[in-house]
Amino acid sequence: MIGPSRVAELEMPAAGIETGAARPAQSYWNESWERLRGNRLGVAAGLLIVVLALVAVMAPLLSAVLTHAQPQTIDLDSTFARPGAGGHLLGADELGRDTLTRLIWGARVSLGVAFLTVAMSLTVGTAVGMMAGYYGGWLDDVLMRFVDMVLAIPAIFLFILMSILIRPNAITLAAIVASVGWGSVARLVRGEVLSVKQRDFILATRSIGARDSRLMLRHLLPNVLPVLIVAASLGVGQIILVEAALDFLGLGIQPPTPSWGNMLTNAQSYFFRSGSLVAFPGITIFITVLASNIFGNAVRDAFDPRLKS
Amino acid sequence: MLAKYVARRFLASLIVVLGVTAITLALMKTTSGSYVPGIDLNPALRPEDIARLRTQLGLDEPPQVWYATWLWNVIHGDFGRSMIDGSRVTDHIFERLPNTLELTATAIVIGVLVAVPLGVIGALRRGSKADHGLTVVSVAGFAVPQFWMGLMLILIFSVTLEQHGLPWLPSSGAFSAFQGGDLLDRVQHLILPATVLSFFYTSTWSRFIRSSMLEVLSQDYIRTARAKGMSERRVVYLHGLRNALIPLITLIGLELPGLVSGGLVVEVVFGWPGIGKLAFERALQYDYTTVMGVTFFATLLVIAGNLLADLLYGVLDPRIRYG
Repeated sequence: MIGPSRVAELEMPAAGIETGAARPAQSYWNESWERLRGNRLGVAAGLLIVVLALVAVMAPLLSAVLTHAQPQTIDLDSTFARPGAGGHLLGADELGRDTLTRLIWGARVSLGVAFLTVAMSLTVGTAVGMMAGYYGGWLDDVLMRFVDMVLAIPAIFLFILMSILIRPNAITLAAIVASVGWGSVARLVRGEVLSVKQRDFILATRSIGARDSRLMLRHLLPNVLPVLIVAASLGVGQIILVEAALDFLGLGIQPPTPSWGNMLTNAQSYFFRSGSLVAFPGITIFITVLASNIFGNAVRDAFDPRLKS
Repeated sequence: MLAKYVARRFLASLIVVLGVTAITLALMKTTSGSYVPGIDLNPALRPEDIARLRTQLGLDEPPQVWYATWLWNVIHGDFGRSMIDGSRVTDHIFERLPNTLELTATAIVIGVLVAVPLGVIGALRRGSKADHGLTVVSVAGFAVPQFWMGLMLILIFSVTLEQHGLPWLPSSGAFSAFQGGDLLDRVQHLILPATVLSFFYTSTWSRFIRSSMLEVLSQDYIRTARAKGMSERRVVYLHGLRNALIPLITLIGLELPGLVSGGLVVEVVFGWPGIGKLAFERALQYDYTTVMGVTFFATLLVIAGNLLADLLYGVLDPRIRYG
């Protein structure tokens, strides 16, 4: 989604799945699901994402039971506590706030914004791409030239300008990132629609009098779905990175709300006091993005075997 | 044919550039009414002074007039003056551009020098331990936040080394190096940011060269070359690698806009006085003209990069025809 060219080059050694000749014919979805389940690394990565999402959802419970601290509780007795000291498993920051608790709450921001961004990009991108591909003609020209423009502006400038304009919270931040992400989805969907549109079943459906809206929603959309699933799962990791960078630059989620990115903004002021403040949020981002990318690649291999290199 | 293709692409690009600047201006205009936040509340300024300032800066003109004037001036090579310090926007850009070019060019050169051998090794020893290792490193490379890698390098090579009394690398302050510092000083400042940037180029490009090399090596002309008794070394490097590198040209061409935007975060982390950092700082200060200038410039680079990549592709691979 963001920088598809980068992600598209990723490849993981997928477990070899041979479709036995004797097996009865299966539906596309069953087959894809089987392929995905056969990819152990991919499944593990997917499970890790699920666990992280659960952690984000249960943040209030975890911080009450596990870390006994709130993300914004200031404790000046334990400023720059080392990991493990004074009940702070991963240490504490310059105000004595527990790092682990803040990471757990930060997961809400990072994952929440990422999933929301993907949802927004897919919705808008699919709508635009489908209209452009289905109707063609001048509408196609206008919509696609607009997509060209959006994708030609260096994305970071758009993010900076819009962040200044909006002063984002989690929802508007997702909208900001999605305002670029929908462009590549639209291109992708348009391409698929252009090819599906040529098939005989569309002509057949049209000839029995189906309206445009029915054609698009009931016949084109299901055929575009595999591409969308792949785009979504490959996009999550990239979006987490973009979101963290914006937070780090002070353009995203504002303190005191903890996010993985803005925890690093503060940490860089205290290099000499505590290295772990710099290390832990970054490691968390790294692991999350790595899992998302591996899972995304597994999904791509399973749902779109053509793309497998 | 080629001229017609270039002309058509050029025309399409022109529309994109116009659209991009219009979008940028629309965003900036809605961002704030007064270019200095809170200037209207400043008791030291009389209302008529504020009005005069606004007129001078052209803030009271309707956006379309402002845009038309700006565009007219840009066509004549005048990007206007910065709203913050009144100096020429072009001066700002050309003052910062060499620094950015120095950083990016170094990173791209290191990236290519590391990525090509790694990609070739991966392709020639497909499925070996070395190949799997390279895959893992490159997959990891996609997941490391660039700014965090910068921070960690600073933590290790600047902070920790210095704390232990060892020779350390500067984490920022490249400004001093450019105001008459010696070459060694410049190189010292360059090492860390260039490492971060080139790491990302390497992880992208090595995968790319690997798959493109695998594809080329399975072609018929490679079999022919082997069949006529050519040494394996010549087959791989003369016939294989040369053709496998063609797609890399496109990738490097597409990296051109990264000169401005891709390096922005790295420039901010390392305090590198480049064009990305300029845009970032000026956007925070509502300096319309500078931001418009840099955006315009960056968009030109995007389009030029795409076009250049397309054309070079045709030069390197005569099979490609432009329609």
